[in-house]
Amino acid sequence: MDSGVVKLLFNDKILELSNPDPNQTILNFIRTELKKTGTKEGCAEGACGACTVVVGELNKNNIEYKAVNACISFLPFLNGKQLLVVENLISKEGKLHPVQEAMVKYHGSQCGFCTPGFVMSLFSMYKNHGNYNNELIKDSISGNLCRCTGYRSIIDAGKSLNRISKIDQFSKNKKKIIKLLKKINSKNIFITNQDKKYFSPKTIKDLKKIIKKNPNSNFLSGGTDLSLKVTKERKDIQNIINLKDIKELDFIKKNKKFIEVGAATSLIKFEKFIKKHYSDFNSVLKRYGSIQIRNVGTMGGNIATASPIGDTLPILLSLNAELVIETLKNRKILSINEFFISYRKTKLKKGEFIYSIRIPLYKNNIFKAYKISKRFDDDISSLCASFNMEINNNKIINIFIAFGGMAEIPKRAKICEKSLKNKHLSIDVFLKARNYLEKDFNPIDDMRASKNYRLEVAKNLLIKCFHEIKSKKLLRVN
Amino acid sequence: MSKETFINKTRPHDSAYKHVSGFADYTDDIKEPKDTLYGAIGLSKKAHAIIRKIDLNKVKSSEGVISVITNKDIPGRNDVGPVFDGDPIFPEKKVEFYGQPLFAVAATTIELARKAVMKAKITYKNLKPVVTIKDALDKNSLLFKVKKIKRGNASKKIINSKNSLKGNFTTGSQEHFYLEGQAAFVIPKEDNNFLVYSSTQHPSETQQLIAKTLNQKSNSINVLVRRIGGGFGGKETNFMTSCICALLSRKTGKPVKLRLDRDEDIIITGKRHEFYSEYEVGFNDDGIIQGLKLKLASNCGMSPDLSLAINERALLHIDNAYFISDLEVANYLCKTNTSSSTAFRGFGGNQGMMAIENIIDNISRNLKKDPSTIRKNNFYQKNSKNITHYGMKINDNVINEIFNKLEKKSNYKKRYLQIKKFNKKNKYKKKGIAITPLKFGVSFTTIHLNQAGALVHIYIDGSVHLNHGGIEMGQGTHTKIAQLVANSLGLPYDQVHISSTNTSKVPNTSASAASSTTDLNGAAALNAISNIKSNLENFIKLKYKIYNKNPIYKDQYIKFGNKNFEFKKIIKEAYLNRVSLSSTGFYSTPKINFDKKNFKGRPFLYFCYGAAVSEVCVDTLTGENVLERVDIIHDVGKAINPALELGQIEGGFVQGQGWLTIEELNWKPNGQITTFSPSTYKIPAVSDIPKIFNVEIFKEGINIEKVVNKAKTTGEPPLMLAMSVFYAIKDAIASVGNYNIIPEIDAPATPEKILMSINKIKNKIL
Repeated sequence: MDSGVVKLLFNDKILELSNPDPNQTILNFIRTELKKTGTKEGCAEGACGACTVVVGELNKNNIEYKAVNACISFLPFLNGKQLLVVENLISKEGKLHPVQEAMVKYHGSQCGFCTPGFVMSLFSMYKNHGNYNNELIKDSISGNLCRCTGYRSIIDAGKSLNRISKIDQFSKNKKKIIKLLKKINSKNIFITNQDKKYFSPKTIKDLKKIIKKNPNSNFLSGGTDLSLKVTKERKDIQNIINLKDIKELDFIKKNKKFIEVGAATSLIKFEKFIKKHYSDFNSVLKRYGSIQIRNVGTMGGNIATASPIGDTLPILLSLNAELVIETLKNRKILSINEFFISYRKTKLKKGEFIYSIRIPLYKNNIFKAYKISKRFDDDISSLCASFNMEINNNKIINIFIAFGGMAEIPKRAKICEKSLKNKHLSIDVFLKARNYLEKDFNPIDDMRASKNYRLEVAKNLLIKCFHEIKSKKLLRVN
Repeated sequence: MSKETFINKTRPHDSAYKHVSGFADYTDDIKEPKDTLYGAIGLSKKAHAIIRKIDLNKVKSSEGVISVITNKDIPGRNDVGPVFDGDPIFPEKKVEFYGQPLFAVAATTIELARKAVMKAKITYKNLKPVVTIKDALDKNSLLFKVKKIKRGNASKKIINSKNSLKGNFTTGSQEHFYLEGQAAFVIPKEDNNFLVYSSTQHPSETQQLIAKTLNQKSNSINVLVRRIGGGFGGKETNFMTSCICALLSRKTGKPVKLRLDRDEDIIITGKRHEFYSEYEVGFNDDGIIQGLKLKLASNCGMSPDLSLAINERALLHIDNAYFISDLEVANYLCKTNTSSSTAFRGFGGNQGMMAIENIIDNISRNLKKDPSTIRKNNFYQKNSKNITHYGMKINDNVINEIFNKLEKKSNYKKRYLQIKKFNKKNKYKKKGIAITPLKFGVSFTTIHLNQAGALVHIYIDGSVHLNHGGIEMGQGTHTKIAQLVANSLGLPYDQVHISSTNTSKVPNTSASAASSTTDLNGAAALNAISNIKSNLENFIKLKYKIYNKNPIYKDQYIKFGNKNFEFKKIIKEAYLNRVSLSSTGFYSTPKINFDKKNFKGRPFLYFCYGAAVSEVCVDTLTGENVLERVDIIHDVGKAINPALELGQIEGGFVQGQGWLTIEELNWKPNGQITTFSPSTYKIPAVSDIPKIFNVEIFKEGINIEKVVNKAKTTGEPPLMLAMSVFYAIKDAIASVGNYNIIPEIDAPATPEKILMSINKIKNKIL
C-alpha cells in the first residue's frame, strides 16, 4: 500500500503529515511548523551542527538514537521515526535532562547558539553508549562547532556523564515509544506535492517499478550532498526516490573472498565492521565527516555521487572493489576501477542503481590509507591516498595506489604502480617511483590546497608508506 | 571598615538553563506577527565595476514578492559607515566588492525572498580590482595618509648595533564565524516609530544609523537586544542588515525579518585585517632590541569602517611586553576591493603583537639562543624601562612574575632540551615549543567611548530590575553585573533581573567592545545602586534617628550597627514614604587621555597580562600537526566569576589558535571570495584543542586601578596567548635545519604553509 502520509512521533504523539513538500528540510519544519526555535540554523550545509536533532529509530526491540543534521535532511526522512528536539529533553516538570544539567554545571555554554546542537549530540551519545571516554566524546561532537568555549568545558560535561544514572525519562517511556513506532512503520511512501514527487519504497521490486515510471528521478541515499541543491542553490528537486527504507540494500556480509556491503548501508555501520579488516579504512571513515553525516550518509551514495574528494573512493579503487549494479532487468558486476568516467560522471546508466559493493579480502597484503586536510575533524580532503600491496620476500608482487583530490575523478596512480611492481622494497625504488606521480596526476589549485602541495604530499605519502612498512610502525602525528 | 573583600563566586551563565533547553531566544527566534514579511538581499557578482543596469522585473514578478527596494527608496543617508562615509547601503554607480548589496526584497517567506533575488539581471562595466595588500601598495591604493610614529632614532641605532636582521611577515585575515549570523527584525509602530530587534554589539549606533537612513529622529527608533549568538567584533559595526530591514519595513508598512544565511554573511560582512610588515632591527648579543624600523600595512577592504582605530591599536601594541627605546613605524591603510575589514577580538593589537613576536623569535634564532631568554631580556621592567613608545608609564607590570612562574610550572626549560633530543632521533616527526607573553591595553582608544549608563529599579516587593548598555554575547556580562549588584545590595543573585539591552532605557551607549563592557557598565550599575542606597539611607536615618553610621547590606538586611532592617520591608516602607527607588547610573573612565596626532598620552586605564607555553608535533612529510600541550597563566585581577573568566581564556585561546593555524580565507584574483561556508573555511573543532590544556588564573592578580571588584577584563587578550602555538610550530620547523636556519613562514601556519617552509629549509641545506 502506498501512502502520501508521513507519520512521525513528536512529543510522544503520532503526527500525520499529508503530502508535505518533499523539499522542505526538517529544520524548516521544526522552526516554522512545530514552532520550536531551540534548533538553530548555523550553515544550512551540515557542517556546523547547530541544527542537530536526534531521530529515534526502531532496531529490533530497541530504539537507536541517531544525531542528524536537520538542515540538510528532508522532512519525509522522518517517516516512521521519533523526532527529538532540544526542547523535548526537559521534563514536563521543567527539570533538565542529565545531559543538559552537565552542560550547565561544567559551563559548556557561552553565547548559547551552538548549545542545543551540542546537547543533542551528547544526548545521542549518552543513549547509545554506556561509557564515555575521550575518544567517544570527541567523535560525538566533532560535527558541532563552537566559537566561544574552546570545547574543554563541553568535553568535561561529556565525561561527567560517566558518573550519573543511565535512567532518564526516555528509558522509562521506552515501551510506549516502541509500541508507537511499530504502529507507524510500515508503508511505502509516495508523496505528490504540486509538481514534486517523493517515493520511498520498501523493496527492490517496488523500487524498480517506480524507476520505470519515473526515469528522471534523483536517488536519495542520505542526501548530504543532494540536499544542498535546495539549501544552497535554492533550486527545487522534482522527483526524489529514497533508497534508505529498502532493507535489502542495508546489509554487510562476508565470505572468504570478500566483504559485501549493501549500497544503502550507513557509513557509521560500515566503519565499525571494517575496522578489523582494514583499520586505515576505518580511520579515514571516522574523518569522512561528523557522526551526523555518517549516520545518514551511505556507501552507495558516496560512490554514485562520484566526487573527486569522496573519501571512500580511492580506498575502494586500491582494494579493487566491485560494484553490483541493478538494472531494470538484471544484475551486473563492474569493477570500481572502470566506474568513474569524468567529473561526477559514472558508468551508471539511467534507471540503474548500485546494489552492493564487494571489497576483496587480501590475506597477505599491506593496506594503508591517509587523509590529508586542513582540519582534522569533519573537513574535505586536500588529498586522500590509499596503498594496497602484496610483498613477498621483500619484493613488491602487486601494488595498487589510488588518490582522491588529485584529479577530476578519484584515480589510480598507474604509472607509479608500474614503476614499483616487481621491484624490491627499498627506499631507492620508492624515491624513484614518487616522481612518476607527476605523470599520473596534474591536480588543481583551490582554496583547500595548491597543486604543488597536493603533488608534494602525494609523493611524501608514498615515502611515508614505505617507512611505515619498513619500520612496522605508524609514523603519524594524529 | 574591614579589609576590602571581593566577589569571587562561580555560578553558571545567567542564560545557561535556557541555552541548554532551547528557550534562549535570539533575534530569529522571536515569534513573528502574522503579517510578517521576510527579506533577502541581492548582491553584486563583481568586485569592482560600474553598474550599467539593474533589471529587477523578474524579481518583482517572482512568487511571493511584496516589495523591492533600491537606492531610490532610501529617504535619508545612503551609508552605514560608523565613523566615515564609504559604506553605501546600495551603491548608485559603482560596486566595490564581490557581494556588495545592490537591492533587497520583502516576500511572504524567506525561501521565496531568497529565490527572488537570484532573478535579477545586472550588467556591469568591469574595472580592475585591487585584491591584495601588495597590489594596493604597488598602486598606492590607500584609505588615509601614511601614519608615522617615532621614538628616538631607530636608523642610527640599527647602524650602530652589533647585529641586525631584515625580513617581512604576514598575519592572515579571519572570519568571525559567530554561530548566529546577522539578523534583524523590524516592527513598524504608530507615528512612524520602529521597534528593532537586532543581532548587534552596538544597539545605540544601530538606532542612530536607522534614524539617519530613514531620515527620522533617533527618538523614533527603539532597539532591543536580549542576547546575540557570538559577536567577536563582527557585530560591532556591520549595520547593513538592520538598516536594510528597516527600509523594507518602512516601505511595506509590515514587520520584516531579515536574516543572512551563512554564505551571505561571510560574503557581505567584513573580517579581520590581514597585516603585512617589513622590518629592520638592530640588537646586541643579549638580543636586546636597540632600534626597530617597521613598515606595517593592513588590508582594510573597500571602506574605512573602523580601520583607523584598528591600525592605531596595532601601533599601540607593536611593543607587546617589550621596551623598545628606538622605534619608527610607518603604517599603511590599504584600500582593496574586498568587504570592509572590521573589528575582531584583539582589534589590531594582536596583529601588532605578532609582528614584534616574529622579530624577537628571529633574533633568538639568529643568536642561537632560547627565545624565552631573549623575550625576558627585552621585557618592560618595574622601575626603569617602563615608559611605552607612546609615553605612557606602566604602573601595573606583572609580566616578569607571570612569565617566570609559567616557565617553572610548565617545566619549560627541561622540555625545551628534551624536545631537542627528540628531534635528533626523529626524522619525520618534529616537536617544537614556545613561550610567549602578552600585555594588552584596556580602554577604547577613542576617549569619548569610555562611558556607560545603567538604569536600576527596585520594585515594592524588593526585586531589582537592571538594564545597562552592555550586550550579552556569551561573555557573561549580565551574570557578572547582576553578581555585582546583588552583592552590593546584600541580596541573593536571583533577586536581580537583567532584561534586554534597550535604547529607550539606557541611551547613547558605546559598543560592547574593547573588552570593557563589564568594567564600564558594571560601574554604571553600581553608580545607580549607590544613588538608590543614598535615598534609602537618608530615609532610614531620618525616620529611625540614626546618625553617622555607614550601613552594611548583607543577607537581605540593611544593618546600621545593631539596628537591622529587612530589605523587603524597608523597601515597601520607603515606597509608602514616597522615596525614589529608581535611578540611572553613569560612569566615565578616569585618568585616560590620548593625543592621536602626536601619538602621546595614556590611552589605557590598565594592562592585562598573561603568558602561554605550547608544544606541538609536526609531520614533516605532510605539514599536519598536533597541539600536544598548552600551559597558561593569565591575569584577571580579582575575578568576579572565575568560571566565566576561565571560559573566556580557553575560548579566546582556541580562537587565536584558529587564526594562526587553520583559518585561511581565500580570494580569487577577480576579488571573489572562495571560502564562505564551514565546508571551505575551517574554524577549530574539538580535535584541534590541546591534548593537555592547563589553564590557571594568576592568583596574585589584582587591578591597581579603581575598577569594579578590582577585576581585569578577559575579553580580547586571551586570543593572543595562542601566539605560542605559532612559534612552537616555527620551532619545530627550525629543527629540520638543525636550528641553523630561520624558518620562513607566515600565519596562518596551515599544513601546506608548514610543509613549504620545511621544504625551503631542506633546499637550503642541499
